[in-house]
Amino acid sequence: MNLTLKIWRQKGPGQPGELKEYPVSGVSPDMSFLEMLDVLNESLIKKGEDAISFDHDCREGICGMCSLVIDGRAHGPDSGATTCQLHMRRYKDGDTIVVEPFRARAFPVVKDLVVDRSSFDRMIAAGGFVSVNTGAACEANSILVPRPAAETAMDAAACIGCGACVAACPNASAMLFLSAKVSQLALLPQGQVERGKRVLGMLKTHDQEGFGACTNERECEAVCPKEISIPNIARMNREYVRAISRA
Amino acid sequence: MKLDAKIPSGPVQQKWDKHRFELKLVNPANKRKFDVLVVGTGLAGSSAAASLAELGYNVTVLCIQDSPRRAHSIAAQGGINAAKNYPNDGDSVWRLFYDTVKGGDYRSREANVYRLAQVSNNIIDQCVAQGVPFAREYGGQLSNRSFGGAQVSRTFYARGQTGQQLLLGAYGALMRQVGAGKVRLLPRRELLDVVVVDGKARGAVCRNLVTGKVESYAAHAVLLCTGGYGNVFYLSTNAANSNVTATWRAHKKGAFFANPCYTQIHPTCIPVSGDHQSKLTLMSESLRNDGRVWVPKKGGDARSPDQIPDDERDYYLERRYPSFGNLVPRDVASRAAKAACDEGKGVGPSKLAVYLDFRDAIKRLGEQNVREKYGNLFDMYHHITDENPYKVPMRIYPAVHYTMGGLWVDYNLMTTVPGLFCLGEANFSDHGANRLGASALMQGLADGYFVIPATLGGYLASEKLGAVKAEDAAFKEAEARVDAEVKALLAVKGKRTPTEFHRELGLLVWNYCGMGRNEAGLKKALARIPELREEYKKNVNVTGDAGNFNQCLERAGRVGDYIEFAELMVRDALERKESCGGHFREEYQTPDGEAQRDDANFSHVAAWEYAGPGKPEVRNTEPLVFDDVHPSQRSYK
Amino acid sequence: MRGDCKFSTSIGKKQVVAVTGLLLCGFLVSHLAGNLLMLKSGQAFDHYAEFLEEHPLLIPAELGLAFVFLAHIFVGLRLAWQNRAARPERYEVTACAGGRTPGSSTMKYTGLFTLVFLMAHIYTFKIQHPEDTSLFAWVMGWFHYLSYTAFYVLAMLSLGLHLSHGVWSSFQTLGVNNPRYSPYIRFGGVAFAALMAVGFGMLPVWAHFLRGG
Ligand SMILES: Cc1cc2nc3c(=O)[nH]c(=O)nc-3n(C[C@H](O)[C@H](O)[C@H](O)COP(=O)(O)OP(=O)(O)OC[C@H]3O[C@@H](n4cnc5c(N)ncnc54)[C@H](O)[C@@H]3O)c2cc1C
Ligand code: HEM
Ligand code: HEM
Ligand code: SF4
Ligand code: F3S
Ligand code: FES
Repeated sequence: MNLTLKIWRQKGPGQPGELKEYPVSGVSPDMSFLEMLDVLNESLIKKGEDAISFDHDCREGICGMCSLVIDGRAHGPDSGATTCQLHMRRYKDGDTIVVEPFRARAFPVVKDLVVDRSSFDRMIAAGGFVSVNTGAACEANSILVPRPAAETAMDAAACIGCGACVAACPNASAMLFLSAKVSQLALLPQGQVERGKRVLGMLKTHDQEGFGACTNERECEAVCPKEISIPNIARMNREYVRAISRA
Repeated sequence: MKLDAKIPSGPVQQKWDKHRFELKLVNPANKRKFDVLVVGTGLAGSSAAASLAELGYNVTVLCIQDSPRRAHSIAAQGGINAAKNYPNDGDSVWRLFYDTVKGGDYRSREANVYRLAQVSNNIIDQCVAQGVPFAREYGGQLSNRSFGGAQVSRTFYARGQTGQQLLLGAYGALMRQVGAGKVRLLPRRELLDVVVVDGKARGAVCRNLVTGKVESYAAHAVLLCTGGYGNVFYLSTNAANSNVTATWRAHKKGAFFANPCYTQIHPTCIPVSGDHQSKLTLMSESLRNDGRVWVPKKGGDARSPDQIPDDERDYYLERRYPSFGNLVPRDVASRAAKAACDEGKGVGPSKLAVYLDFRDAIKRLGEQNVREKYGNLFDMYHHITDENPYKVPMRIYPAVHYTMGGLWVDYNLMTTVPGLFCLGEANFSDHGANRLGASALMQGLADGYFVIPATLGGYLASEKLGAVKAEDAAFKEAEARVDAEVKALLAVKGKRTPTEFHRELGLLVWNYCGMGRNEAGLKKALARIPELREEYKKNVNVTGDAGNFNQCLERAGRVGDYIEFAELMVRDALERKESCGGHFREEYQTPDGEAQRDDANFSHVAAWEYAGPGKPEVRNTEPLVFDDVHPSQRSYK
Repeated sequence: MRGDCKFSTSIGKKQVVAVTGLLLCGFLVSHLAGNLLMLKSGQAFDHYAEFLEEHPLLIPAELGLAFVFLAHIFVGLRLAWQNRAARPERYEVTACAGGRTPGSSTMKYTGLFTLVFLMAHIYTFKIQHPEDTSLFAWVMGWFHYLSYTAFYVLAMLSLGLHLSHGVWSSFQTLGVNNPRYSPYIRFGGVAFAALMAVGFGMLPVWAHFLRGG
């Protein structure tokens, strides 16, 4: 099939950008969306032009590297899937597709469709862990975790840190991402000791990085490729109340 | 050169304890005076960086991705082994050791493997303490499953995302140290050269992938944790950024490359669908617990699978291996699939696929149960192929998955360049000629959490290391060289894209150095690769510029290294005139088509030494000694 | 976290908006109950108004109410402002992925409109209202004007929209979201919003059209 792509091109951080139009032909329905971009890039390189930059790595929906907003939707039209899991059979001949980078103050554009998500790392560094030095762990089965708690923790832990929640949130809030980590560790016995410190520390960094606040718009959970849901945000809100009432 | 593996003396059970006792210690107050450069943030790199920073070393970490959490380890699905014996089914450190040596087809070092089995239990303790959400029983204890044909249930798992959860645990530990200011984290950096001063590794030169600047980092020791080279085949289950660049460039600086021909092909991957294909997706091995593998008995049978009656199907694994059936090890299952397709019985549009059929499992267990066990895998398959595996059998084909070969390291994980260490999939150490399922994660974490913290101290405490700065001449020289290489690539302005070269190279090595290898084919590849290398230098087309984010340029550098490396891989395959594990030489097989080892002549590690540009590499050997596990013919009949 | 104000974080601010929002909902219920007395008779309503006016706790209650209103408005608008700043560069194309509702996407506009309403409302009904006249008559006098009536109806619809998101949102913000109860909370929120919009909105309509004012 033949398609028209409108892709955001931006030379570098802080520089002006624009949507540029590219026709692509001979797209097979079995291609993934990123493979379709590969094909386009190959043709650009052949013409001696600078290829379109976009982040990707695993191409199977687990690394969280791919990050496109396709026709206004983070990770494209399929729910519960990343950009790299989107296949061209979703589209039909003659379609026009607009591709933009994730946009948020805390995710500055690096180039074209590539953004800098290191703000996520800094949030994790502010408390998204259990402080246990290598070697200091006790025998694994001396920590019992009720299965339902383990399952719910795993649901939250499935977050791949892609940032689509931020991209989709009208407020560019990272609450879904944040709450996934806070929830995982709040649900497990291992996370209890640092419970309060964690939510306060991570939230402080969240705000400093320039993410917005959550106003419960629920766009984030609708686009989240791992279907992290907003009861996690509610849990984090509880954790926050608990933390400040004990501080 | 004589290779000294520095294996401690004494009974295998005591070697590690004894060694740790004998290693010199760095005074706690002095640790902060040592700079350690860790390259890579997969399981090996993250765990090493975190553990070393906890000890007090000054750590700098580089990785290609925008965040350490995205390293390729994230993709591992199945699980991680440990000898906890929680199910009480007869497992022990000894059995894990034994299985790993045997599974590696007697081509690994006993001492390393024993240590790996020994620390496996500490890994699980550590990960659980970090909050890794492993699967649990109703009583709250950890749950285990049997994996990859093991006779005991020793695999710990977190849904289909074990690698991700383990990496997030290690990444959390790493980020904790970043937050505490003990680790300097430098993402989006690609190592392009290792800097050796006075014969010792003292730092690295890398390209800042955002600004394009070439940067130098000096250190007292360098740890390469840069993963495997499976992408030399172009199509593999590896992530796009996986590369051989780091280890290859270290190799050119004097680190020996061991057993490059040991590559693992995973039997259950989604088959190639067209030329546009950029990667192959693994379907977890656990599917073989309930799925049955078959092809039509008649070649070229064009009927849809449900039209083919049972007596016209060849359940070839069950037929050839009655006792292991569909659960034979990876290399065996992969070769059997290839054999079926070579006979013209392959299915699907490409005829390069076999069926993995759940019809009987659905009949026996009910669709609901099958959905509970494999739902997410089925969905993934459905997503990619647009076929519903509850209704039609899956089509699968083997794909390159893991590389057992890597930089040669001694018992301390140090390469032949003093001060240059290599951890995880990037080294060659523990899996011999074939890796067992769920053992790579174990090895990466063993290296990072438990081995390197001890052995690096031993090195730093016993060497006299002068002051070295990133402003020194050695670094400036390396920077200039790297810069020139980058500029040279951009200046070619040829006709073919780096991807086109990569694809051609991949197909070449897949055909001649893939699942089955023979002398004629390997020689053909050896003739073609140098031509390709020369053509690459003259005809590659790299667009964009150097002082900027430029993925075309990144790829170009990696492809160039793959072409050079491929030659060594093929040569290694040619010289190893036996079949073992993942290395199957068609000339060396038993009458019923199984791998035939030659212990008399090849019970050794082949460690290749770089001899300079254009000169043939030198093959050194490290003999393997088996005191505790006696080599026998692997049999899964 | 010493020295940091608990209410200055994004969650803290949200929770201030949520608590004040719920308190305002409480006020709305009692205000509506009082206003419904109009339907009974003008006298009943005037009695009630007098009772309130003479109550010793009126001033503190009014101050409290003013504080709650101001806190809600001030913090809510600051939050909205900050959230805008979190995405300096807008998308060229935006599509709803299915989470937003008409209520949620218009919170700041419906909120601002409510503010405009309130100013007009208090100015006309409270400040302008002469001490010794019947409040009922005064109110009815105002609803004589079609434009004023229409303004009220619009304001009530807007308030309903605000609450259709606001009520359940407050629960979520305060950490109440449990897979078992949240459908009821969501439904309850919308029902409450509808009740308020209809309850309040009915009065001007009744006053203008049905009462034959
Ligand atoms: C699909 C799949 C499933 C798997 N499932 C399992 C399983 O179930 N169980 C199991 O035990 N094993 C499994 N494996 C194997 C296992 O995941 C890997 O062997 C292991 O994770 C490798 O870890 P690592 O730390 O050595 O390297 P990686 O995780 O590959 O990390 C490499 C790191 O090095 C960095 N790097 C690389 N090159 C450079 C450079 N030039 N400069 C700077 N940085 C660089 C990268 O950025 C990255 O951070 C699986 C593998 C695949 C592909
Ligand atoms: C007077 C003018 C008002 C303004 C400017 C205003 C503004 C806002 C804003 C900006 C929000 C934040 C959006 C969000 O967090 O979802 C909000 C939320 C809310 N408002 Fe208002 N509002 C006003 C009046 C009212 C009134 C009169 C009520 C109820 C009687 C009310 C109830 C709520 C509730 C319940 C919330 C939700 C809080 C939450 O989500 O946690 N608001 N308001
Ligand atoms: C159509 C419906 C409404 C009617 C008929 C109505 C009527 C009145 C009247 C008559 C008063 C004056 C009371 C007095 O002077 O003692 C009043 C006060 C007030 N009303 Fe309303 N009202 C309506 C809707 C609302 C709504 C929706 C709100 C909130 C958003 C509101 C908030 C207030 C406030 C804050 C006061 C001042 C209270 C005080 O100072 O004691 N009203 N209203
Ligand atoms: S919560 Fe979902 S959308 Fe957000 S980062 Fe995690 S996986 Fe991505
Ligand atoms: S979309 Fe945004 S407003 Fe909250 S519920 Fe999700 S973070
Ligand atoms: S490329 Fe890894 S999730 Fe898409």
